[in-house]
Amino acid sequence: MQTVHVRGLRKTFITRRKAPGLRGSLRALLRPERQTVEAVQDISFDVGEGEVLGFIGPNGAGKSTTIKILTGILHPTEGQAEVLGFVPWRQRRQLAYHIGTVFGQRPQLWYHLPAMDTFYLFGKVYELDDRTIRQRIAFLAEAFEIQDLLETPVRKLSLGQRMRCEVAASLLHRPRLILLDEPSIGLDVVAKQCIRDTVRHLNELEGVSVLLTSHDAGDIEALCRRVIILNHGRIVYQDEVSALKRRYLTSKLVEVKYAEEVATDFRVEGAETLKVGRYGVKLRFDARETPAGAVMARLAEAGDLVDVTISDPSLEEVIRAIYGKKP
Amino acid sequence: MTLRRPLKYWAILKTQLLNSLAYPADLASRSLTIALFMWMFVQLWRATYRSAGQETIAGLTLRDTLWYLMMAETIVLSKPRLSRTIAEAVKNGEIAYLLNRPYSFLLYQASVGVGDSLLRLALNALTGGALVWATVGPPPDPRGWLLVLPAVALAWTIDFCIAAMIGLIAFVTEETVAFEWIYGKLMLILGGVLIPLDFFPAWLRSIALAMPFACAIYGPARLFVEPDPARLLSLLMIQGIWVMALGLLLTALYRRGVAWLTINGG
Repeated sequence: MQTVHVRGLRKTFITRRKAPGLRGSLRALLRPERQTVEAVQDISFDVGEGEVLGFIGPNGAGKSTTIKILTGILHPTEGQAEVLGFVPWRQRRQLAYHIGTVFGQRPQLWYHLPAMDTFYLFGKVYELDDRTIRQRIAFLAEAFEIQDLLETPVRKLSLGQRMRCEVAASLLHRPRLILLDEPSIGLDVVAKQCIRDTVRHLNELEGVSVLLTSHDAGDIEALCRRVIILNHGRIVYQDEVSALKRRYLTSKLVEVKYAEEVATDFRVEGAETLKVGRYGVKLRFDARETPAGAVMARLAEAGDLVDVTISDPSLEEVIRAIYGKKP
Repeated sequence: MTLRRPLKYWAILKTQLLNSLAYPADLASRSLTIALFMWMFVQLWRATYRSAGQETIAGLTLRDTLWYLMMAETIVLSKPRLSRTIAEAVKNGEIAYLLNRPYSFLLYQASVGVGDSLLRLALNALTGGALVWATVGPPPDPRGWLLVLPAVALAWTIDFCIAAMIGLIAFVTEETVAFEWIYGKLMLILGGVLIPLDFFPAWLRSIALAMPFACAIYGPARLFVEPDPARLLSLLMIQGIWVMALGLLLTALYRRGVAWLTINGG
C-alpha cells in the first residue's frame, strides 16, 4: 500500500476582489466581485512507505493547500486522495492518530510551559499510557538532542532549539507519516541543518514517511530522493533529485588560479568569463556544447595552472531555470 | 481505551492550569481589576442608599447589593476570552493544528476554558470578597458560597456556548470584535453585571429574565445573597434548559462552520 496516493486533485477557492481605496471598498460592499483562484490544478503523485518526498515551489504554488487536503482540513474540489488508507476529509479524526504535522510558523508547543508538559499532554491526547509516553519522550529527547531543553519554558528557547522540540512533539505518537510544511522557514543555517539531520535520522530509524514542503532547495537537496516542483498549482517537474540535477545541471562552473597575473580581458573559447581577478578567473560553460576536457586543455594552455575547481550550480539555480521555462 | 478518551480532556485542563500558574503577573493584575471595580461600586452604592434615605431598595440592602455585585463581577471577570481565542486561531492558522488532533475541538476549548477560569474565579472571589467584607461585613448567608457553585458551573457553560458561537463566526468572517462588543454590553445591562435586575422597571426586568444572559450572571449572583434550595432548584432548571438549547445550537453551528471552513479554506 502507498502511504499517500493522490490522483487528479483540484482545489478552487472563491475569493472576493476589491479595488484599492475607499471607493473600491464601497463598491465591493454594494456589488462584491468574486474571483476564482485555482490553488491546485490536477495534481497526481504517490509517496511510498518510508519515502521522503519534497514539494518545492514559490509562495502560492499550492504546496500548503495540498498538505491541508492531505491532513483533512480542506475538502478538494475534485480528485481522489488516500493517506494511509484513509480519505482525509472524511476520516480526519481517525487519520489524526497516524500522522504528525509541523507547520513551520505555527507553534504547537505551549509557549509558557516547558516542552515536557506539552509532550505529556500530546501523549494523553493520542491516548498513550504513561509508560509509553515516558519511553517515547526519552527516545526522542536523545534522537533530537533535546534532553537539556525539555525543562525550560519554550519561550526561553532559541528558534532552532524550539523547532527541534516542535518536530519531536509531532512524532510523539509514532506517526507513520509526517507532513512538514516549511519546517525550516526563518531558521539560521545551523538550525536548518539540525532539523534536516533529525528528520533524516528519524526516517532512517523508524521508517516514517515524510512529505516536506519548502521553498529552500537546500532542504530538498539534503533530505529527499524525489522531488515535485509546483508552480501556479501545477506539477512542473516530478522525478528523482539526482535526475533533476543531471538534466538541468548541464552548465558547470570553473574557477582557476594561475602562477602569474591574468590579463584583464582573459577569454577562453567555448566558455563564458564571469569574473577576472588578479591571479584567478571564474568561468561557466555548457558541458553539452563544449566538453570539459577541451575547456581544461585551453585553460592549461593559457598559463601555469596552480589550482582548479569545477562545481555544479545549486539546486536553487536549477529550479530558477525550470520556472523560467513555461510548463 | 475507553477511559483514555475523557482523560485527555482532564490532561488539557491540567495543562491550562499549569499555564495560568506560569503567568502570575497576569493573574494578579486581573484581581486588581476586580478590586478597582468593587471599590467604585462601594462608593457609588453607598451614596445612592444614603441619598435615597432607605434601608432597602427593591428588597435589597446595601450589603446585599454589594455582595451581589461582587459575585457578578467575579463571574464576568473570570470567564475565558473564548471568542477572541477562536478568532485568533483562525487568523493565524493555528486552527489547522487544533482541527487535526484526535479530540473534539469544542471539548478542547471547554477544557482549556475551565482550566483558565478556575484560578481566576478563586482569586477574584478572594480579592473582591475581602474588599466588600471590609466595607459592609460578611455576606448575608454563608450557605451562599456552597449553593452558588453548581449555578456558577451552569452559568459558565451558558457563557461558553454563546462565546463559542461568536467565535465560530470567525470561521467565515475572520473577525468577531463587533459581536463580542454587543455580547459584552448585553451581559452588562440585561445580564445584571452593572445593576441587579431587581432595580429595573418590571417590564424591562421580565424581558431580561427571559434571556440567557440573566442565567449567566444575575441568577447565580442573586442566589448568592439569598441562598435557599428552592431558588437554587428553579435556577438550575432554567439554566439547564438554556444549556441544552444553546448546546444543540452550538453543535449544529460548529458542524456547519467546519464544513464551511474545509470547503472555503482558512
